[in-house]
Amino acid sequence: MWNHNKGNRDPARTNHRLTGKSCKTRSIWKSLRSLLQKDFRMMRSGKFFAVALGSLLLYTLFIHFAYVRFMDMEIYQVYLYDPAGTQRNVSPLVHPVASLEEMDRILHKDANSVGIHVTDGKPEVSLYTASKKLDRHRSDYALSLLHPGGKYTPETVGGNNLEQKNRRDITCELLFIEIVAVGFLGIASVLFKEKQMGVMRVHAILPLPKSLFLFSKIFLFLATDLVFAILLVLCNVGLSGTGKILPGLLIQTTILSLVMALTVFGCAMILKDFRQFSLAYLVIALFVTAPVFLSANTSIKMTWIRFHPFYHIYMGLKHAFFGIPVANPLYYLCAAGAVVLLFGIVKTAFCREMEKEG
Amino acid sequence: MKGWIYQLKSVRKDKFCIMSFFLPVLVAILLNFAGSIDLSSLGELQFVLTAGDLTSETTEWLARYGTVMICQTEEELISEINDPSTNLIGIEKDGKGIKTILSGDEWAILQQAAGTLPLLYEQRESSAQVGVQILSRPDILAGYQHIFAAMTLVVAMFMGCTFNAMNIISEKEEGVVFINEILPMSPKEYLIQKIGIGFVFGCLSALITAAICFRLPFARAAVMLALLVLSAFVSSLIGLFIGRFSNGLMIGVVYIKLVMIVFMAVPMISYLAGVENRILTFLSYLIPSSATLEGIMDLANGGTAMAGKDTVILAVHGIVWFLLYLLLAGRGKKQA
Repeated sequence: MWNHNKGNRDPARTNHRLTGKSCKTRSIWKSLRSLLQKDFRMMRSGKFFAVALGSLLLYTLFIHFAYVRFMDMEIYQVYLYDPAGTQRNVSPLVHPVASLEEMDRILHKDANSVGIHVTDGKPEVSLYTASKKLDRHRSDYALSLLHPGGKYTPETVGGNNLEQKNRRDITCELLFIEIVAVGFLGIASVLFKEKQMGVMRVHAILPLPKSLFLFSKIFLFLATDLVFAILLVLCNVGLSGTGKILPGLLIQTTILSLVMALTVFGCAMILKDFRQFSLAYLVIALFVTAPVFLSANTSIKMTWIRFHPFYHIYMGLKHAFFGIPVANPLYYLCAAGAVVLLFGIVKTAFCREMEKEG
Repeated sequence: MKGWIYQLKSVRKDKFCIMSFFLPVLVAILLNFAGSIDLSSLGELQFVLTAGDLTSETTEWLARYGTVMICQTEEELISEINDPSTNLIGIEKDGKGIKTILSGDEWAILQQAAGTLPLLYEQRESSAQVGVQILSRPDILAGYQHIFAAMTLVVAMFMGCTFNAMNIISEKEEGVVFINEILPMSPKEYLIQKIGIGFVFGCLSALITAAICFRLPFARAAVMLALLVLSAFVSSLIGLFIGRFSNGLMIGVVYIKLVMIVFMAVPMISYLAGVENRILTFLSYLIPSSATLEGIMDLANGGTAMAGKDTVILAVHGIVWFLLYLLLAGRGKKQA
């Protein structure tokens, strides 16, 4: 019966409906293309791409000529004052000094170093305090150099060397800063400019779905961030390293970029002007980046950091840089939920703004 | 006087302005009362081992040098060592001694520490008998805790710069700048009015922040006051320059961002790296906040000599930037 009814439909009417539907789809695509072109022009005139390119250049120069060259730390220097010459088999890492005064002067200048004073064949260690545990290690390490023994090399289980790690570490940090702080500000300036120019008022009277306006912008911001990420990684991690990490990296960049673009969109809808936004930006940049960097890169313990959503995104990005995928499906579920929720909030705020504009 | 009243009225209505001046104060309160971050573990070693592999005596011996983390399986141990956000040294039993495992991408300090650890374990009894003289000096890491407070102060002073720059850029965008040109007001009066609000509120913000972060005796407090006032003055002047050279909001924001990065990065790097080269030291003093940070850190660590020198450097900065702005303003008027 059901099939029979279906079969009896008027073919001309069905054709008309199909043509109407395809016309509507074609019209939406056409509108989306126009919106994308307009947004691209706005971003270009707002110097968005120029700033991103400038940042890329600056970061690449910093990584190549500063960070990679200087980011290493040697172990504590050990100085020995042994006037009777009782210590004969000391390690070449021990620096002999001629007097106690010289040793005091060196220790004062380099507070991390350790001094050994030998009297009657008995060594005594002198050092400026740092922390109890560190003091113990510095002292025992210095004494071990008096009787060095055979050369021992620790077992290695990783695939990177120090330079590769430094490059990935700093590239990850700069990409995070660029999306969270620098790009965030750029997006805001473009959105507030449109708000001031009354572009949103024009959109209120256009026969277009409201989500199309949001989609066009978010798509362009996301595309810019992805291109930026690819270029930054290519320039600083190298072509061979990029291939392996790129898929994971693009997924994490997409999550971060969508969250940030939607957040800035929400701010642009709620806040009056760019000056008000500058304050919100300062708070966001300060409270998002500072604790995340401290917890993720140092041994400083902050138990509450697991409740900080950006900590998990940053760790996802960092792991992606080292080719370690985030295996927890809850992370992706939360990320997708956050993006959907933010999109809903932004769309509601946008519709309210349209109503206000009349 | 009327101009000042107008400026104050505009500030009173601008919640952003009031809030931005109080932001560093808020951060100072957080730093002082709520966020006591434990920095003592920063330089310590971190070890990781598999449960049941080492004796409790060995684990206690390792805990004398740093923190010990226990993993349940060998795979977990390797994964923790390879985790890019950690600097763990893996420890395993090796006959009567121990062996160390590294990822291979660690700093030289960790590689050397891991390379000597089995020997330290062998010599643990003999080294325990050696006398150790711990020299009394303020904790090396405690000095770094002042950096948070000092950097908050630098940000507080920078607020005057941001305010002045944004104020002038807004006036340019809204066309108020053309009205200013026909008002019966000399460039000097305009300069004083424009610099005044940013300077006064930047000073206030920095002074309250300093009062929360530091407890100093009278003599050092006086030097700190001079440092803060001069820094706030220089920051306000730099804000005028940014406002003058920016043609739009975005360009202004880019300038502010660049200046802020330079203002924070140069003094931080030169302080932490302890630059000893005379030329590099001189170059770092070209950025006013270098003298500010150095002076604040000197005062916080109990000195005054460096702070005195830094006050003079900031005074020179103030005079040079002020004269330069007057010169540019004079030229601009002639051309107009």
